[in-house]
Amino acid sequence: MVKITIPAEVKELIAKRGIKESDVNDVINTAAATKRYIKKGNDGLAKKVIGGLTVYVVSDLSGKGTAVVKTAYAHKMSLGKIVNVMSETDWKTPDGRPIAQGHVEMEYMTVKRNGPALVDPATGDSWVEEYLATKTLAVAEGLFEKKRA
Amino acid sequence: MSKVIGHTNGLCPRCLRTIPVTKVVEDDKVYLVKECPEHGPEKVLIWRGEADYLDMDRYAAVHSKPARIAVQEKDNCPQICGLCPDHVQHTCLVVMEVTNGCNLKCPVCFASSNQFYRFNPSLEVIRGMYQTMLDYIEHPIVVQISGGEPTIRDDLPEIVRMGKEMGIDHIELNTNGIRLAEDIGFLRRLKEAGVDELYFSFDGLHGDIYKQTCGRDILAQKLRCIENCAEVGMGITLVCVVSPNINLDRVGEVIEFAKSKVPTIKGVHFQPISYFGRFPISPKDSDRVTIPDLLRAIEDQTKGELRMDNFIPTSCSNVHCDAKSMSVVMEDGSLFPLTSRAFGPPKDTTTVANKTRREIADLWRFIDDSVIFKEEDDGTMNEWGDFVDRAKTHYLTVSAMAFQDAWTSETDRFRNCCIHTVTPDGKLIPFCLFNINSMDGRTLYRHEMWSKFSENR
Repeated sequence: MVKITIPAEVKELIAKRGIKESDVNDVINTAAATKRYIKKGNDGLAKKVIGGLTVYVVSDLSGKGTAVVKTAYAHKMSLGKIVNVMSETDWKTPDGRPIAQGHVEMEYMTVKRNGPALVDPATGDSWVEEYLATKTLAVAEGLFEKKRA
Repeated sequence: MSKVIGHTNGLCPRCLRTIPVTKVVEDDKVYLVKECPEHGPEKVLIWRGEADYLDMDRYAAVHSKPARIAVQEKDNCPQICGLCPDHVQHTCLVVMEVTNGCNLKCPVCFASSNQFYRFNPSLEVIRGMYQTMLDYIEHPIVVQISGGEPTIRDDLPEIVRMGKEMGIDHIELNTNGIRLAEDIGFLRRLKEAGVDELYFSFDGLHGDIYKQTCGRDILAQKLRCIENCAEVGMGITLVCVVSPNINLDRVGEVIEFAKSKVPTIKGVHFQPISYFGRFPISPKDSDRVTIPDLLRAIEDQTKGELRMDNFIPTSCSNVHCDAKSMSVVMEDGSLFPLTSRAFGPPKDTTTVANKTRREIADLWRFIDDSVIFKEEDDGTMNEWGDFVDRAKTHYLTVSAMAFQDAWTSETDRFRNCCIHTVTPDGKLIPFCLFNINSMDGRTLYRHEMWSKFSENR
């Protein structure tokens, strides 16, 4: 098990975003166990689909066996296949494979459109960055949900 | 073969007495069957498709009682109204009439404008009606100033300003647009005074339609009014009364026209013709347009761009009163519907009334303008971002509301109504109920109420 620290201001932020601390812990521990996360310097980015949400956690992994959570965010859209791969980024997999900027299919309530993401062409995996999840995707999801009511 | 699917009460179209109503299905059509002890039976078509009719019930909202009521007597709906303890939904939209005069004399008019008496309330009486809203309704308070034709009053900007100063949140103006086509300065003054949008009668794109609905061809004035609104930045909802004999076969072109005028035009609201107020015939079923008839015509005439499945009840009024769709108008002019029955009913039906009021008031402010996507992404493909950006300005609602007349009246729908006419004596009365009249022209509320507060002719 990873020793996880969530600073008070981060706790406040993730509570505002409707993310539970237990989910943050789950994301980090699952990533540590499966080695499915990406790194940039000391930062790690991990994700896990929990219920209908894809939850992301960015942590400082500089301490051995520890993770200090820097931020967490989530989206409801499901990520599909990679539609294109662009230039490499500073993100890498734990075994050093480069992660590229690219675009993936993002689907919500039967509507499918493409959006930018970090992509691993070798595995087909992808990660949405915080700006996109908390602004564009959140508004788009809200738009659909509002219109349902 | 006739199957009974429900019971309620309703009004006798001849004497307006409250009488039992049985809902029956015959040949997949839903009818109300009424039996007046004095005037005998009446049977009227209200819906096509039994399964569709029953399916609407899953959209029903948890009721939200009015915050306060003006009438304490109960168990006499709809004969004593104001609202009373039996009413189960609070007010989402208030209709406030400021005149019964009009610059047209249409053969069909729910308000029987220019007839019987002259209702032209003073500013003090109007202040009292605003106060009734403030006393009885929680914010946001959404008002539609109506008539008659409100723009015949030169003091209309003052009326609007007074409402805003008193704390009314959103004011829309129900108008035929004739004066606003001829006098753009008056339109500007109304906007400056606080009118948020026009609820603009627009029955089609052919002069012959207006000859039948308004007595003369006024299409040029209608189009000029829209141009003027674009110039001053006034949003419009087109209101199209749909008759099977006049324009049911032309609803698709109204939607196509509206798409081309977005963002000035923000919505199209179709109203299947109801037989109250002034109407030239005693209606048969073939003179009626049910909501499914209308939605089918829209689907056919838009070639499936808007499907019947894209229309859902607002869930605020009775689920058989209305249907709405919401779409983004894309770059190529196509509609991208955001609503679908496939999504199911709202998860939270306890706050639908509040959401409806906010939605009317915020129709065009539903995305925070501070959310700017272009600067946030890397400048490459972000179709979701483009979509949301587009949705901020290029957005069209297409909706329908089936008002009740004496034939189609159901007490359950009255009790569930959230669109209320405010009266000078401090009452709020469901819009349909306020306007309903018997075959010989007697009303339960309109003429009785307005003649009390009118100058006799």
